[in-house]
Amino acid sequence: MLIMMAAVLLPSMAQEVEVVSRQRLLEGVEGPAYYPVLNQAGDRLLFLSENGSLKFYDLTDNVTTTVTDGYVAGNDACWGGDGKVYFVTQQVQENHLIYRTGQLFDPTTHKTAQLTEPQHGAVRAVAASRGGALKAPGGRDYQSQSDIGSAAWTEGNRVHVTVNGEERVFTPVDSWAGYLWASLSPDGKKVAFFAAGKGIVVIDLRGQMLAMLGNYEMPCWYNNDYLVAQNAKDDGHQFTSSQIVLLKADGTWQTELTKPASMAMQPTCGGGKIVYTTIDGLLHEMKINIYE
Amino acid sequence: MKKLLLQSTMMVLLALFAVNIANAQQPHVYINPGHGGYDSDDRNMVIYPFHQGDSAGSWESKSNLRKGLALREILQYKGYRTSISRVTNTTADDLALSTIVALCNQSGADVFYSIHSNATGTSAVNNFPMVFYRGYTGSPQVANADVLAADLEPYLYASQSTVWTHNYQIWGDWSFRPEWGTQGYGVLRGNRAVANLSEGSFHDYIPEAYRLLSFYYCWMEGWNISLGADKYFGRLDYFAQGVVTGNVRDDRIKRLQENPQPFIVYGDDNLMPIHSATVRLLDQNGNEVQRCVTDTLRNGIYVFKYVDPGTYTVEVSEPSHFLQTATVTVTANAPTYQNFYLKRVRDTAPVVVDYSPVWNEGDPAVKCSERIVLTFNWDMDSATTCDAFTLDPPVDGTFSWEDSYYRLIFTPKDAFDVNTLYTFTLKKTAEHGGGTPMDQDFTMQFYTQKRNHLTELAVFPYEGAPVNYTKPTVELRVDSMLDTYNLFNRLHVLDSEGNELAWNKRSIKYNKKGDDYGFVRIPLTKDIEVGKDYHLILDVDIADTAGIHLPAARDILFHGVDAGADKPGMQVAEDFEDASNFEISFPMGVSGNSIKASTERLFGSKSLQLDYDMANENILVVNFNNPTTESYVRGDTLGLHIWGDMSYNNVYVELNDPSTSPSMSTLIPLGKIDFHGWRYVAVPLDDLYDGTFHVRSFHLARQQPLMGKTGTIRFDNLLKKESSGIDEARLANMQVRVAGDYIVVSADTYVQGVELLDIQGRAIKAAGNNCLNVADVPTGVYLVRVHINGRTATSKVKL
Repeated sequence: MLIMMAAVLLPSMAQEVEVVSRQRLLEGVEGPAYYPVLNQAGDRLLFLSENGSLKFYDLTDNVTTTVTDGYVAGNDACWGGDGKVYFVTQQVQENHLIYRTGQLFDPTTHKTAQLTEPQHGAVRAVAASRGGALKAPGGRDYQSQSDIGSAAWTEGNRVHVTVNGEERVFTPVDSWAGYLWASLSPDGKKVAFFAAGKGIVVIDLRGQMLAMLGNYEMPCWYNNDYLVAQNAKDDGHQFTSSQIVLLKADGTWQTELTKPASMAMQPTCGGGKIVYTTIDGLLHEMKINIYE
Repeated sequence: MKKLLLQSTMMVLLALFAVNIANAQQPHVYINPGHGGYDSDDRNMVIYPFHQGDSAGSWESKSNLRKGLALREILQYKGYRTSISRVTNTTADDLALSTIVALCNQSGADVFYSIHSNATGTSAVNNFPMVFYRGYTGSPQVANADVLAADLEPYLYASQSTVWTHNYQIWGDWSFRPEWGTQGYGVLRGNRAVANLSEGSFHDYIPEAYRLLSFYYCWMEGWNISLGADKYFGRLDYFAQGVVTGNVRDDRIKRLQENPQPFIVYGDDNLMPIHSATVRLLDQNGNEVQRCVTDTLRNGIYVFKYVDPGTYTVEVSEPSHFLQTATVTVTANAPTYQNFYLKRVRDTAPVVVDYSPVWNEGDPAVKCSERIVLTFNWDMDSATTCDAFTLDPPVDGTFSWEDSYYRLIFTPKDAFDVNTLYTFTLKKTAEHGGGTPMDQDFTMQFYTQKRNHLTELAVFPYEGAPVNYTKPTVELRVDSMLDTYNLFNRLHVLDSEGNELAWNKRSIKYNKKGDDYGFVRIPLTKDIEVGKDYHLILDVDIADTAGIHLPAARDILFHGVDAGADKPGMQVAEDFEDASNFEISFPMGVSGNSIKASTERLFGSKSLQLDYDMANENILVVNFNNPTTESYVRGDTLGLHIWGDMSYNNVYVELNDPSTSPSMSTLIPLGKIDFHGWRYVAVPLDDLYDGTFHVRSFHLARQQPLMGKTGTIRFDNLLKKESSGIDEARLANMQVRVAGDYIVVSADTYVQGVELLDIQGRAIKAAGNNCLNVADVPTGVYLVRVHINGRTATSKVKL
């Protein structure tokens, strides 16, 4: 276990972050693991194996379960507010069109259920405070219940925010290529997302911009005030560096949690933990303390 | 009313259903034009007339975008759904790899194309299309990525607007970049679409860099990628139009090479692309269907987009060339390639507008190395012009062309003969590139100088020379000033296996203005091996500043020796450790003369160094203030180690017998200083007068008027070997013969032993009787030393 202290001081506000612990997960047990997703409690983890199948890791009993051997579409398997896993599999048809199917995994029963028929085009799993949804722009959607509570997701250069069943659509910044990686803060009061070419944007539930945090990727809420994100550099073909950074949601402070040469990427947060992988698929769990 | 409402509702529902069905079958392609902006990672190729960093020049980011936008336009025209990661070329567009992948995944695309061009990153120059997918070759991570690649590459490779150097290649990125493990290309990692990264061609092949500046050319790559998509989705029969494209070049004028450095070109890329050519597509009634104009960016590319199938005429016109047409047949969903090679308008007969050498009666004679150069008013036809070329008397030589057939150069194979009047005629049968011959013959004369080859004055090593092994120095001297440009590349030292030894170029010495002769002197960087043979090769093109070269190449064999090797039986008569015992006695008072101790030695800590200037004399004398205590008598051997300066001066040793009155002296020649570095010289004193002699001086005698006036030589250990005292009469019956693998010695008395020595006197092997096995000794000339009655006799033997 490695303990280290990283600190960045800004003139306006002195803060420090202490990396309390960092450890490898599933070392020697699993092969390369990518796109980890922690649940809100931080005791359950989803990840994709090298061949694109979805796996579920219960940190409390240290057991790994294969959710599906089918190729998981996108990188957005998610934990619903009901504790279940919403995800999408894909199949290439004879005409070479890709059909995507909404799926549900119950980590308690370990049972999988098909939620939507295979359909051509985008189908994306969306986490909601009371369950989950499958969004298929131009196709057939699915919701776990009529009122799924709060949720946030992106489509093109729009961020969709659902509050108590009411969907609002915002375009707070211009982005030709589009928005990605939308998520609600744990208290449900803010939404963070990524605008291609602009970086991470934080808005309130009315779509008012609160902060722009810089050109980092894959933001996830560490708590109501801080986000963790990926800071990767490339030469147009391959990654040249990648690190995990901690960002204050109001844009006033940021620091690195790993060095650029760590090639750390794809962070996820839950229960006060940060889990990330590396370019060669090595999962790590990190715990930090933030001193304000 | 109700019925009408119901009908309307039904129609709306049917329309929505039809749209849904259409959407369900509409392929979705995500396009990623690679890179973005004009930054250091955006692959700027510096090509004339653009400077480094000029956004108007060649940038991979820019051509990738043009291809991507073209592909988007074409796919949408063909009924595809598309998404694209950028539509401008700025730094902000250069999205991170993870972002591009996530955008593609979010879009729900069926297929992803990342569009790039390639570069070798080395001095190698290639041009061929490549495509990559994630995984190992033949085993893609996302099913069908290999199929998508296989459907794409033949369309790219079918392009006849470029010049390919190799067939196309399809790779799994894990196989192509095994050093990356399974990291692979960033835009393929985690990408859930059927994804390819296409490197359409090589932008560091300079003609391709110019083509990639063409909107038309980039559009065609987009078209070809769209055909790959059509094939992949089984939609080749969905679209009812084709394209016509190609390249407009001059039929023989060479491409300009105005880049910072000459660049490599292949095939038709040697020909000049035609700028601003108007290209028209005409239907069968002669009506213009489309028109385009080639740009001025050295690519000659034209294209007619979205052409209905049928037969057409393509007409190309440009004021300085003859109009040209071609009939083409356009097929739906396929490119039609038609390249043009335009003939220049050459409206007058060719004439010689300039020539050399220019010589008239009474002018100085022309160098024998001169080339004949003819400059014409038109680009000439090579075959008829070379056929029309005559020289009297005839001279063998080669023709070459410059300035795109405007300048003909005749280079004699060797050199023109000396003191000869040559008459050159170019017969009027010579034609320009358009086929028109000259109106009349062209004739001129020139008279040659009296010298047509370099004369070699001296070379070291010379044939068979023994060369001391420590960092030998090579020197060539000729009768005029050498052209020193790249001269060291025209001299070579090879070992016996043909390996070339390196020169110490930092220590190279050349002739300079005012020198008496031309020379190059250059040491090797490393020692050679004792006992090994080496070759000094002098190329025939070693030439003087007038271009006069050697008459022939030289291959000079020499041998590595150790001049300081132990000499058995030799005593040291003088070790030269103390320079104060020596002085220059003649000529006196010359400032360039000095005697001093030198650390460049073979033995002990010092040698004796003589820096000399003969001034106006031909003799220089170095006296021993105290003659050697060791004395020499007839039959002894005197040996001396000399560090030579290739002065070609002769060295003598003066032996003096002080016991006679007047004292008797004799000069014993030690040989010519025709070498560099240390050498051991030994002379038998068989002709010495009766008496006891001591060494009293060295004499240096100048032999060559151009060499040896000044220089530096060194001496180390003067040796003496006493006479064997052998009774030659008794040994007269000694016979040495080679019998098979043995040297057998016979004599009238008991033979105590036989030694085999190399030609330098070093022992190789010995036997305690009269037979010596030499089966393992290399062939060559050796010395055999025979021990008889406590004395020795030596003779040569050839094995």
